[in-house]
Amino acid sequence: MIKKDSKTNLEIWSDKLTKIYGKGNEALEAVSKIDLRVKPGIHGFLGPNGAGKTTTINMLVGAISITEGSAEIRERKAGTVAAKQLIGFLPQDPVFYEDMTGEEYLRYMGQLGGLQKKEARLKAQQLLDFFNLFKARNREIGTYSGGEKQKVGIAGSLIHDPKVLILDEPTANLDPIGRADVVKKIKELSNRVSVFVSSHILSEIEQMCEDVTMIDNGKIVISDSISNIKKSFISDLYLLDTNMNEKLVDQLKDKKFISKARIDDLDGKIHIIPKDAEKLREILPQMLLKNKAKLYSFNQPELSLQDIFMEIMTKERGNKK
Amino acid sequence: MKKEYAENTSGKIKSSFEKLNLKVIQPAKNWLSKNIFKRTAIIIKKTFLDIYSLKKIIITLIAILIFPLIFVLLPTAVDFGLISPNHAATIIGFALIFPAFFWTLGLVYTIIIGTSGAPLIAEEVKSGTMLLLISKPISRIKIFIGKYMAVYFYGMILSFFSIFLIGWIGVLAKSGNIDHFISLIPFLTALYIYSLFILFLFTSITMAFSSIFKKARSASILIIFISIFSYIAFFLIRTLTGQFYVTFQLYHFDLGYHLGNVFILFVEALNAVPPSISWQTWFATITGVYNLTSTVDPDQNINLGGLEKTNYYLPVFSLLIWIVIAALLLLFGILSLKKREISV
Repeated sequence: MIKKDSKTNLEIWSDKLTKIYGKGNEALEAVSKIDLRVKPGIHGFLGPNGAGKTTTINMLVGAISITEGSAEIRERKAGTVAAKQLIGFLPQDPVFYEDMTGEEYLRYMGQLGGLQKKEARLKAQQLLDFFNLFKARNREIGTYSGGEKQKVGIAGSLIHDPKVLILDEPTANLDPIGRADVVKKIKELSNRVSVFVSSHILSEIEQMCEDVTMIDNGKIVISDSISNIKKSFISDLYLLDTNMNEKLVDQLKDKKFISKARIDDLDGKIHIIPKDAEKLREILPQMLLKNKAKLYSFNQPELSLQDIFMEIMTKERGNKK
Repeated sequence: MKKEYAENTSGKIKSSFEKLNLKVIQPAKNWLSKNIFKRTAIIIKKTFLDIYSLKKIIITLIAILIFPLIFVLLPTAVDFGLISPNHAATIIGFALIFPAFFWTLGLVYTIIIGTSGAPLIAEEVKSGTMLLLISKPISRIKIFIGKYMAVYFYGMILSFFSIFLIGWIGVLAKSGNIDHFISLIPFLTALYIYSLFILFLFTSITMAFSSIFKKARSASILIIFISIFSYIAFFLIRTLTGQFYVTFQLYHFDLGYHLGNVFILFVEALNAVPPSISWQTWFATITGVYNLTSTVDPDQNINLGGLEKTNYYLPVFSLLIWIVIAALLLLFGILSLKKREISV
């Protein structure tokens, strides 16, 4: 773990970063005192819709003001030209100059990033080639597919050779093929730049990232490496599958040794988090016998990020209630 | 392009991303660095190309030239073959001075500048392209200045051609003698200097509105309103209210009056067109710069004194006041964009 107040070797650092919209009774705290510690590599930024991901990112890139706290990109104050020189940014649902061709757009972005005219043209062509868009370079961006637009957007954010790439939901609104393509390119890029990527598509984050930060209601709920998070969650969850899941889940919920029991929407199994795992193992056979239920499976899986995310969010929201 | 790219790929620079020479481009550190201007120049170029279109320029020029054309086609009881070029230029100037102020560099010009500048920031913020722009290592001040300068350059070019063309139209309609056009140059120069002033004012207004408004249309409508109000509404107020205008000192807020005052300042400074009741009457009616009652014989078409000025303000004060207001609006526009929350 990184010391809380050490900024060295961090790509992104924030201290009590806060964004409040409005004033007085109308005030809405969109992001609340979050401390980001983003190391080199690919760092996932997770959270449900409205959790504050985009607001946080917009503060990091200087698009909106910081109400309280501070943020730095490689020890340069977020939002300054010096910090922006170090970042490449692709917003959520990016909008382009539709009448520009892919190459014109990249050259424009490159020159704004400080490249000479010739250098910008060469870099634009190299990036178009890297993103398999070279053939489409003279087409207007307005004619590009969703996936092509995302890729030209990432290329535009890379053209001035940033050190940290900030991508806000880069795969949202893409079809599965486009998504896989963009994820593959992001992984390839991680050899050259650090990537801070927000998403609510957790399977992709799991494929790409070493570290993740999860936020909900503007607050960080967990921030660590995926492996550490999984280790800390593995012992908690049990999956039970029988021929009468709905009946059993109701009975399990009433048991004092059960913290949480629910039927998962995706696999249809009962997801159980016990307070006392030994007690669960002891009582479960009796319950099955008593209900004359057929047991299909009972195991303790390695959790996916999706499971962990769901568990954390459920817990967080349960605590608030 | 393909050949060049092929050469690049086969030469020492490979197209693969791994071969890219990754380096951190340092931001320009001081105001003397040419990088400071380079990025602004890129914004100027892009914005200028967004505003400019040949079709738009041609339509604008036609609109700009219609009104002066009507004025120069009015009959003049002068044989241009017998008078000196300077005298001929004076007669042509008489015909052009009012339509140039009211129309060519007035209503049409200010509305064109206003509506060209209004979408530049508001529309980019609304559509989301501004988010891409501001994430690049360029300050918002430079983005604003770049867009501002693009509108200004566009206006400079537009007024240059407009003034050149109304000069030619005047000469062709009246005499067809090129010497008369040469003698008209001081007048056209006065018009051009005035156009730079009005361009400064209306570019500042439109860019300030563009910085604060969410919708470009709102900014455009307000600019059109200001333009019409300045050139027409106060003329009606002045005419209909009579003494009320003077008693309540409405001239302080009468932009049309101030613009007329500044216009006359440049015309007088360059000795461009001598005073004459024939054009001053038009001017007095629309701007209130002159009293409509003359102390000289109205039978003389050209006289040394012309109409007397109302002198609510010294012309140079009108100029300074509106230069300061334009500068403050420019500053306000910059600060508004700097503080604006940009998200889609």
